[in-house]
Parts: sequence; C-alpha cells; structure tokens
Amino acid sequence: MKIIAIYNIKGGVGKTATAVNLAYLASTDGANTLLWDLDPQGATSYYYKVKPKVKGGGKKLIEGKSDIEDAVRGTDYEDLDILPADFSYRNMDLFLDQTKKPQKRLRKLLQPFEDEYDYVFLDCPPSISSASEAVFAASDVLLVPTIPTTLSLRTYKQIRKFFHENGYAEMKILPFFAMVDRRKQMHRLIVEHPPSFMPGTLRSYIPYASEVEKMGVHRAPVGVFAGRSRAAVSYRNMWEEVKEDLHLLESELE
Amino acid sequence: MAKNQHEYILPETSSTADFIASLQSIFTIREEHEAVIWRTFYDTFDWRLFNQGASLELYKDQTSPKVYWRADKDSARKIQLGLSSVPRFIDHMPRSNLRKQLEPIQKMRELLPRIKLKIKRQPIVVLNDEGRIIVRLNVDEYWFRPAKTRAAHVLGRRVSSKAVKGYQENYDQYLDFIQQLELRTAPDNMLKLALAETGHSAGDYTTKLNLLLDTDEPLIAALKEILARLSEIIHQNTPGTIRGEDTEYLHDYRVAVRKTRSVMSEIKDALPPDIVNTYGKFFSMLGKYTGPVRDIDVYLIKLDKYQKNLSKEGKKQLKAFKLHLQELRKEKQAALKETLKSSEYKQAMKSWDEYLQQPVENLDENSPQARPVSTVADKLVWELYQQTLEQGNVITPESPADDIHTLRKTCKKLRYVMEFFQSLYPARRIRELILVLKGLQDVLGDFNDYAVHIDMLKEFRKSVPEESVEKAMTAMIKELKKKQAAVRAGFAEQYAQYSSQDHIDEFREIFVDSR
Repeated sequence: MKIIAIYNIKGGVGKTATAVNLAYLASTDGANTLLWDLDPQGATSYYYKVKPKVKGGGKKLIEGKSDIEDAVRGTDYEDLDILPADFSYRNMDLFLDQTKKPQKRLRKLLQPFEDEYDYVFLDCPPSISSASEAVFAASDVLLVPTIPTTLSLRTYKQIRKFFHENGYAEMKILPFFAMVDRRKQMHRLIVEHPPSFMPGTLRSYIPYASEVEKMGVHRAPVGVFAGRSRAAVSYRNMWEEVKEDLHLLESELE
Repeated sequence: MAKNQHEYILPETSSTADFIASLQSIFTIREEHEAVIWRTFYDTFDWRLFNQGASLELYKDQTSPKVYWRADKDSARKIQLGLSSVPRFIDHMPRSNLRKQLEPIQKMRELLPRIKLKIKRQPIVVLNDEGRIIVRLNVDEYWFRPAKTRAAHVLGRRVSSKAVKGYQENYDQYLDFIQQLELRTAPDNMLKLALAETGHSAGDYTTKLNLLLDTDEPLIAALKEILARLSEIIHQNTPGTIRGEDTEYLHDYRVAVRKTRSVMSEIKDALPPDIVNTYGKFFSMLGKYTGPVRDIDVYLIKLDKYQKNLSKEGKKQLKAFKLHLQELRKEKQAALKETLKSSEYKQAMKSWDEYLQQPVENLDENSPQARPVSTVADKLVWELYQQTLEQGNVITPESPADDIHTLRKTCKKLRYVMEFFQSLYPARRIRELILVLKGLQDVLGDFNDYAVHIDMLKEFRKSVPEESVEKAMTAMIKELKKKQAAVRAGFAEQYAQYSSQDHIDEFREIFVDSR
C-alpha cells in the first residue's frame, strides 16, 4: 500500500482536481484504490457523488471509536473507493490532539487497509497544522501542486523550509505545476525553468483548462467525460510519472 | 478470492441470457460494454513456477497491460507489478521484491507464454433506486485454443461479483439470489483446466525417463522404448537450443544425446549393426557440435563467481575475457544452429524416429535382440558396478587425477544404465542404490569441476599478460587447488559407503541373485 498525499498550504491550486483524477487513473490501472477526502469542504466526495458524511462523525473515526472500514463507500468506478469528508473535519486538529500520538494517527487508522488497497490518496485541506503533520508522517509521497507565479513559489519555499525545520527533510516531495496558462509569459518561463529550490519537479504539468472546471458539472474525473482533452492527457502523463517515482522509491528502500 | 468477492460456475445447460434474465427479474441492472480480456500465463519450459505453486500472468484488457504475480497457491491476492510486459530473463527484471522471489525459481531459464485464455466479458451493474451502483458482476466466457488446432472452444462460463463498499446488505441479497440458482463456487483453476484441454498437465516436462519396462520384454523392444523417450527429450529441447539464449535447453538436449550414445555403445549387439553404424556417427556428430557451446556456457556461469576477489584492473580484464568467450559462443552457436536447422539433421531425426517406432516382429528367439531385457540389464549393471569397484579400490591420495576421471566416467555409464532399467527393479531399493551412486558422483564431479576451472583460469592468465591479472589468477588457482584437495579428501568417505560389503551385497542381491 502506497500513500500519496496531495498537499499545499494554499487553497485553490488544484489539489482536489489532482486527487480526483489521479485516484481515478490508479483504479483504471486495476489497482485497488482508496481516496480519503480530508477536506471538510467535501469537494472530492461531491465529485464522486458520495455524501460528505461519516456515520458517527469525524471525531469517533479519528479516535478509532468507530470502524473506519464501515465509513468507506464504493464509487461508480470499479476498484475505486472513497472515504468521504465530514464537516466535522474542520476540527481535525482538535480530534488529533486528543489522541495519544497525533502525528502517527492517520497512518495507524489506515493500517487495516494495508492488504486491501494498492494506493491510498489523501486530499488535504489547505493549512499547516497538526492535521497536515499527521498527513506528512503517514505519506510515502507528497504531491505539491504549485501555480507558476511568484507568490505560489514563495509558498512552496515556505513548505520546504517547514519540512527542513521539522524533521521531514527526508520526505519524498514531488512538486508540479498546476493551472498553467501558457499564454502568460511568466507561467511559461517558470514551467520551462523551475527554480533551483524545486528539485524533483515533475515534468508533466496541468494546464489551466475548462474541462477541469467542468468536473463539477459532470461530477466525474476528466478522463470519464473528456478522455482526449489536454487536461486528461496531462493527468495521465503525471500519473505515469508518479508511478515511476514510486517504483524508484521502492528500489531505494530495498 | 478476496473478501466480498465471489465466483460461480454457470452450468452448460443455461445460457448467459438466461442468467441475465433471472437477474433482471429481481434487480434493476445495467449491462455495460462488452470487453475482451486476454490472460497469458508465463512459465519456464520445465514449469518451474507452476511446480512451486506460483503464477505470473499478463493481463490485457482495453486499458494498459498488467502483470500479476501470485507467490503460492494459498495467497489470497494476486499482486500487481509495476510492469507492462513479462521480462524473458531474470536479468531483465527490475530490482524489486518480485525479482528476489523469482530468481531462485526461474534461475537462468527464460519465461515463455505457456497458456493463453481469451475472456469475453459482459460487465453488469446492479443499481438501487437512486441509480447508484450497489453490486458489480461480470459474466465471463473463457475461450481457449489448444496448441495443435486452430479451432478455439469454450472452456467454461463464470459469473464473478464484488461488493460495493457501503452496500453490504444489497450484496447479501445478491448472494441469496445466487444461492437460489444453486450455482457452484468456481475454484481458481483456469490454468489447470486449460492444461487439461491440451492433454497435458503442468510439470509434464521432465528429463526423467519414467518408463514402464516389462522384465520379459525382448531387449530390442525395451531399448527402442528408452531411445524413443530420449528422442522425445531431444525434440522438446531442439527449438530452445536453436534460439540459444536459455542455456538449459542445450544442457538437457546434450544429456539426452549422450544417453542415446550410451545405449548404443553399452548394449552393442542388440541393435542392428547398420543402425549402430549410421546413427552412432550421427549422434557423435551432434555431441561434437553441442560440446563447445556447452563448455563456454559452463565457463560463463562460473566466471561471475570469481569477480569479487579481483582488483579493479582484474575485473576489467575478466570482463574482456568474458566478452571474448561470448563472441566465441556466438560463433559456435551459429554453427550448431545451422546443423540443427539443416535438412540433413531433420531427415536423420525423422528416419531415426521411424526406426524406433517400427513394431518389433518376427524375432528369432535365439537372437541377442530377443533376450529378456532384465537378464541383460542385470548383467550390465553388475559388470559396470564391478568395474567401478576395480577402478575405485586402487585410488589412493597419491593417484593421478586421470584415475579419478576414469572412475567418474565409469560411474556415469553405470548411472545411465541404472536409470534406463530402473523400472525393472523394486522402486525403493534401486532408488537407494542410485542415491549412493549419486553421492559419489557429486564428489567426483566437484573434483572434475575444479580441474576445469583451474584450466580455465590458466587459460585466462595466459591470454592476458598483465601483472595484476597474473597475480590474481595465480592466487585463485592456488585457492581452487586447495578446495580440490579437500574434495579429494572427502572422496574416501563417500567411496567407503559405495564399496562397503553391505552395499555390494545389496547390488548382488538385486542384480545377481534374483536372476
């Protein structure tokens, strides 16, 4: 089981779209995939037509008082399940802080799925908090969507700094560019020459495309309703690249 | 099968349409697009994976191809590997956990597609009132084409299902429905079913002779059976030997040729002189063509072992030597390939097989050919055993290496003959005798191997006049000589058992007294 988190402190950078599409692509590979919507806004759950609600509430789930397996819902796609969001997740930090080892909590909660799923995707809310630290500790890989603008790059720098200062220096981070508008000179420049503080940036990037926005209308991943669109192709390329990286990771661990 | 997944067999008497109709009478369903899936099972020529209970499968549907691995029969789950094709040789496999598991099973053998199944799949989803998918199922029709015909046929139809998370109750309702239809649970045996269709079982390739000879059978009939079985092994390994990459084909091919020659030379008067004359030459020619390639193969396999003791320069030289050997192998392999592909070769094998298949008729009762096989076998085994004792008894720690090699060769002849006629004797007792002989042969073989390695390293030393190599090789040769001496010291112990009075008595009882 590989845990892949999609994370950024900033909101509106394409985290949910990435989680929704990559998880879908993983499942079409025939891999058993679970997507955990950790964002109280519940957009991921919405895209997959699943009610953003956890039976018994988020608190019980995080504390381990209700069975996490009961909270999982199937989607319209074979091999893809979802752990829906719950509005109570807005208090995730609070829930976590009441457990014994908040940092290790998420990983522990996912343990029963070790043999069941090949991939678990975590769609994270935009923040830096106990919850995000639990995500970092749980994940094998962190995907960081970044818009190619000065402000977003600055945020990325902050994330890296945080990792270095808080003992996540070894963490496998894969930044990539999202919402890229090739009509804009700055976007083009940054995508073609990623700054030196972004080592390991994925070659594939996600364009700013209307298909991504239409996901809300179709309530489905791009690949389902616009399989040949630029956005769908970009996500596919990105997934291939991430898999390659995961494979490398595996051989490094040996 | 994983939790909440089920597979049932659809009886031949009811059609897919019948099943869908009865499903529809109870549930709201939607038939999805039909799909075609190919499942190809890979294994080595001698079914090493299957024999270990493992399976490696290439799965192709409309999405990208996938490779699944199951380590043993008991694993509930197949593991999907990060591969889209099956690498033929272990060296081509990326370093991974799988490689670690596969390496000791596959070793140097190539992986071949052994069984290919085509599945026509009708996916069906069961929907609830809100239009959400609550159960997924597939009706699969398995098609299979046996190797020797172009006509494919249906191997079976199955319905597999999977619960959708969050809808357990609905899934239970579906299972109740299945129960009412009284369908049988499907075992995970498509590979075995397909194999049965080919008229074979997996693991049916063996280099063991496994004959069923009859003690009263005329000698010539028994010999023909032995030779025909050896010819079968030769044929089985010919295409692989021609391809020339997986070295085990040539190995098995060569052993079968050597055994064939051994039958002709050890039991001379039983086969017609013209046959011995013609085919003796033919098989000896095959021995000559296969020998050099096999020798180089053995060299190359052993060479890698010497790498680690070498300096950087030495490693470079060894690599160069290896390249030189590989080039030489290409040359010899090309000659071998040409021989095996020639019409002369094919014609000779064909007429050899025809001769072996001619029924034994009108035998002159007094001819050597008509003797009961057991009489001849008894005598031959006993004589060869005596010969090994004569040669072995005079070996002292000071005897020249040639004496040991002579004994090794005689032991090999004895082993072949015992294996040819094994089925004439009490199974357990002859197996014990062969086992002791094998123990002795192992020591003699090790001794010989060291001699061969030493020669090889000497040759390497000679071919690269460079001081570091000279030094490294001299040191290694010294080391090997030490090991060879240790093997020689172990000889006495093995031989003592082989030549003990008890052992001689056992031989006498089986091969002399029972006459």
